[in-house]
Amino acid sequence: MKITFFRYFVRQTLANIFDNRLVHLVGVGTMVIAFLIFDAFILVFVNLNHWTEEWGRPLTMSIYFKGTPERVVLESIEKELLHFPGVTIKRFISKDDAMETLRRQLGGKAGLLDGLEENPLPASLEIILSRDKTGDSLPYQMKTRMETIDGVDEVQYSQEWIKRFQAIMEAIKLIGIVFGGLLFLAALFVITNTIKLTIYSRKDEIEILKLVGATNRFVKIPFLIEGSIQGFLGGSLALIILFLVYITAITKVDLGIGFASLDIIFLSPQFTLFLLLMSIIIGFIGSTISLGRFFRT
Amino acid sequence: MIQLFNVYKSFGSKNPALIDVSLTVEKGDFVFITGPSGAGKTTLLKIIFCTEKPSSGHALVDGRNLNRINDRELAFLRRRIGVVFQDFKLLPRRNVFENVALALEIMGFPLPMIRRKVHQTLRYLGLANKEGYYPPQLSGGEQQRVAIARAIINNPLILLADEPTGNLDPDLTMEIMALLKEIHIRGTTVIVATHSQELLKDTRRRIVTLNKGRIV
Repeated sequence: MKITFFRYFVRQTLANIFDNRLVHLVGVGTMVIAFLIFDAFILVFVNLNHWTEEWGRPLTMSIYFKGTPERVVLESIEKELLHFPGVTIKRFISKDDAMETLRRQLGGKAGLLDGLEENPLPASLEIILSRDKTGDSLPYQMKTRMETIDGVDEVQYSQEWIKRFQAIMEAIKLIGIVFGGLLFLAALFVITNTIKLTIYSRKDEIEILKLVGATNRFVKIPFLIEGSIQGFLGGSLALIILFLVYITAITKVDLGIGFASLDIIFLSPQFTLFLLLMSIIIGFIGSTISLGRFFRT
Repeated sequence: MIQLFNVYKSFGSKNPALIDVSLTVEKGDFVFITGPSGAGKTTLLKIIFCTEKPSSGHALVDGRNLNRINDRELAFLRRRIGVVFQDFKLLPRRNVFENVALALEIMGFPLPMIRRKVHQTLRYLGLANKEGYYPPQLSGGEQQRVAIARAIINNPLILLADEPTGNLDPDLTMEIMALLKEIHIRGTTVIVATHSQELLKDTRRRIVTLNKGRIV
């Protein structure tokens, strides 16, 4: 592209944005809403995915003891556990350690525990099972085996409901992909029509440009740049708003299901950049579609 | 330069705008197209400028058949045809300099050359001190001269003017006509559509009269 053309397009685009600032403002505002809905959906989707992965990866098992196990019993249990594939012994939690942890968790209300005559909390052994090596039936086998050992009170693991949760997540993912696709199309539709507003507001100008001999490409390029800029602004603002909402949400909302606490993550920098790029591309495609329709009529 | 063969143009209404119009305009001609309102003068210019296509018949401009021209070729052809519209068709939010420069910018001329040519043309048309003005700040005659400046800045082969004096008082009319004649002397083929009999009085130029879409 000739440098003169490039300079013309940049100048023209900026002048157009300034001259039609109200139309542009409405356009960017509409895009912000469209992208915000889309990005928020993506954020929810990313978090659901993250939780499935986080919970699904290691399987934790707790072996609770009656009283405090003798060292020999503990060592023999550990030895036996290590025969199973994918087993890592995380730590032994004595009754005192368990009480200390509970006190820490209760914080200011820890005084409630002072009234207890003896420590009711059981000692336990926490182990981690790698999902790669653990078959579906192994945790159950381990649980049955451990519970026969003298001194072991109970064995708990969380696989059952995680499996159910994962099945739900798979369904949500599928719905998510369809819904995300529809949202993408809706955003594109809204944006296309918004850009059409900008184009129609400058109908006379386009006509004059064509009358003095401008090629279609020459007329279209500033609009394509404008559409991309609108997409960029709309996309950036939507992401900034989403981030602010996220920051507010994580400081005020504490999500937890049963023993598991849900940490809400934000989109990764790469994904954020990807969404921003998508916004620009949607702006560009929206302009192309609107211009196509305009030039056909 | 311009050849029309049995051009017929209808916009769907009962009365066609042009009926069986055949016309040849040679290079360097100065032609008046005249006739009462609704005679088809503007449609004829639109056919030549290819903002309308003939319903039937053929129009050739600078060797190009306008029935078979694509968008890109049309854009390049229009760069060789200057048009002065009845309603000026200036961009209200661009100043005089920018309106005139538009015709050069679309061709990718470097900025210093655009500046030089625009200054030169505006000086020639007596608008040197109006460069920074916006069309709504100018009088009808001044706007018409800006439109002429934009039409001639590329040294076009053909200059089409649709009622160029339609909104002007007699003094300004003479001024604009003098300008068109001067442009013609410099080698441009000029076609002026007008319903004003005053303009045609005592002229020795070729006159094509239209009535109800036919050449009479």
